[in-house]
Amino acid sequence: MSLFVLSIGFGLITASILAIASVGFTLQFGVTNILNLAYGDVMTGAAFIAYLVTRAGGSLWAALLAGAITGSLASYVLNRFLYTPFVRHGTRLFGMIIVTISVSLVLQNGLQAIFGASFFSLVLPRTASYGFAGMIFTGQQLLIMGIAVVAMAVVHSLLSYTRLGRAMRATAADPELARGCGVATDRVVGVAWLMSGALCGIAGVTLVMNVTSFSSTTGGSFLIPVVAAAVLGGVGHPYGAMIGALVIGLASEVSAAFVNPAYKEVVAFGVLVVVLLVRPQGIFAEIATQKEVVA
Amino acid sequence: MKVTRLVRNYVLAGCVAGVVTLASVAAIPASAATSTFVIGNFNPFSGADASFGPEMIAGCQPAVRLIDAAGGVSGHDFTCLQVDTRGDPADAVPAANKLIATNSTLEGILGPSADEALATAPILDQAQVPMFVDTGQAYFDKTSLKYFWRITPADDVKGYALALWAHKVGYTRAAAVFGNDAGSQSDVPTLLKAYKKLGGKMVSNQVIALNQSSYRTEIEQMLATHPQVIFTEVDPQTAATFLSELQQLHGLIPIIGTEVTLQAPWLKAVTGALGKQAMSKYFTGMQPYAPTSGKSWSTYNAALLASKGSVPNPSQWSSDPYSMTYYDAVNVMALAMIAGNTTDRSKYNAFVTAVTEPGAGKTVVHSFAEGKAALRAGKKIQYVGAGGPIVFNAWHNSAGAFEAARQSNGNVALVGEITASQIASLSK
Repeated sequence: MSLFVLSIGFGLITASILAIASVGFTLQFGVTNILNLAYGDVMTGAAFIAYLVTRAGGSLWAALLAGAITGSLASYVLNRFLYTPFVRHGTRLFGMIIVTISVSLVLQNGLQAIFGASFFSLVLPRTASYGFAGMIFTGQQLLIMGIAVVAMAVVHSLLSYTRLGRAMRATAADPELARGCGVATDRVVGVAWLMSGALCGIAGVTLVMNVTSFSSTTGGSFLIPVVAAAVLGGVGHPYGAMIGALVIGLASEVSAAFVNPAYKEVVAFGVLVVVLLVRPQGIFAEIATQKEVVA
Repeated sequence: MKVTRLVRNYVLAGCVAGVVTLASVAAIPASAATSTFVIGNFNPFSGADASFGPEMIAGCQPAVRLIDAAGGVSGHDFTCLQVDTRGDPADAVPAANKLIATNSTLEGILGPSADEALATAPILDQAQVPMFVDTGQAYFDKTSLKYFWRITPADDVKGYALALWAHKVGYTRAAAVFGNDAGSQSDVPTLLKAYKKLGGKMVSNQVIALNQSSYRTEIEQMLATHPQVIFTEVDPQTAATFLSELQQLHGLIPIIGTEVTLQAPWLKAVTGALGKQAMSKYFTGMQPYAPTSGKSWSTYNAALLASKGSVPNPSQWSSDPYSMTYYDAVNVMALAMIAGNTTDRSKYNAFVTAVTEPGAGKTVVHSFAEGKAALRAGKKIQYVGAGGPIVFNAWHNSAGAFEAARQSNGNVALVGEITASQIASLSK
């Protein structure tokens, strides 16, 4: 069995988790222009709730639902009661980054204070391995890829075929104009945080399903590839984030097959740098550079 | 008349002076007269290595409990002060400076760890603070730092222990899977050298990036070389991901880990991912010889279990060699103060070896109370701690034997030993 083909399969799993996380990240950023660096820690929070659900005997689906709801509510509350007041008091792009870093630290240490400096595993049944076209997947990995495909399809349908999706795209493109055209941008922003949070929660649960053991820092350490995938695709562009996740996921796994695995992150980020040198706005056209933060 | 007035004035002045003196004596708070000595627990308590700190506290608290119960040193009680380095030199350096500047009764430090030792050990040394480090970095094998003491084996010594155990069990083809952090990588050169010297073949040497979401490609690469056993040291989360993916893809093969892999957080993470049955079947860890028996260990363990209020779930540290050596370190510092008849940290440091070195006519003691009594009786002592005898070389390093341990029914059980002389002969 070719290591190259195997590594493509493995890259698809990494890309699936990255896609869910980076689409959620970029969806919210596209609408609000707030670079939410507490995103990874919300993922961890959702994972801890999923852990409690599985420990209480809940199924994986219940854990995923609980993770999505936790991510959604946490993101909405953070925006409504913390980020929005800052924006209304005139805090702008750089200031908001510092605010989100602070929130990240508070969340990380809060989770550690509640759950302890230890490691946790979701209580899930073990699944068999399946071979497909020279690649190997476990049942859980197939499930993760399935969840990613469904999540991407839902995001695509929502953005393309619903009034809400159109309103979100309009707000992302030009909030002033959207408001002038009768779009309730406040409500759109709230919905964007809820949706982004749901994807964040699902990403947190799928991440800890895949890594099998997690702690209060797990989501935070996954944030860099998430942001990288979003940047690669063109910040604020959900379809770009999907492509970016695929590129980062595949590049890291395929490179591990041919160079020292210690440098697989370096190779993935090397690809990011090269793409951005050729196309600074990312793979898809960027829509956020000239906007201010929106609350 | 004049004389009478003069006498009266003198008497009055004397009374005033007496009252003032008495008042000022009374104004000295009890805590200043017998102030509490601080032992800094200088380790990560948050961040990726947050699990290090609680392990240290689990050694310090029982020691302080017993020292205080035995009357302390010169009437001074001890306390363990938690100092969070976050595992990052950028945080650790200001934390070290603050600790030194704000604690006038700082008597010594447990730590720093490998995360911050290179940046902070020189600062602590310059401030003349005795430090009992838990870094294994080979950089400190021949250190000139006067206040640096290491009673856990250096990382490069672990490589010999791993190779010797694999050779003893009969594995001739091995794969090395170590994290790309400095601490893990410092085990590898001696492991490669020793395993080759013993006739083994290292068929794969993987340096893996930590905390990735997947290691499947690395696993396929490693398995293509058909190893019989995996040598490893990586952080708990990385290990759980790597080994669970190995288990899912092709099934486990025997694993021999360093002492990191026998620590409670590692075992919890990996057992949660692999299951207890797989752990007891495939996994062996090599740790500094610290038997969970004997007088010293019993004293340590009883105090540890009694420290429930300050050490959550204390029994998890009962067989932890690092917690034991932190416990020993606090005892050694306190005994050195008594042996040197000084509580000045810059001076008692010179008496550390006086209470640990073996020697003819020395009284072997197994606890602070025993040591204090013997020293008061004018005897010379050798402290043998929960972690065993402590024999420092010229560079303040002390390394002993190793034990092989396995998980059995949720407990760590001893399955064999590598002696200090075996390591010494292999390292020549």
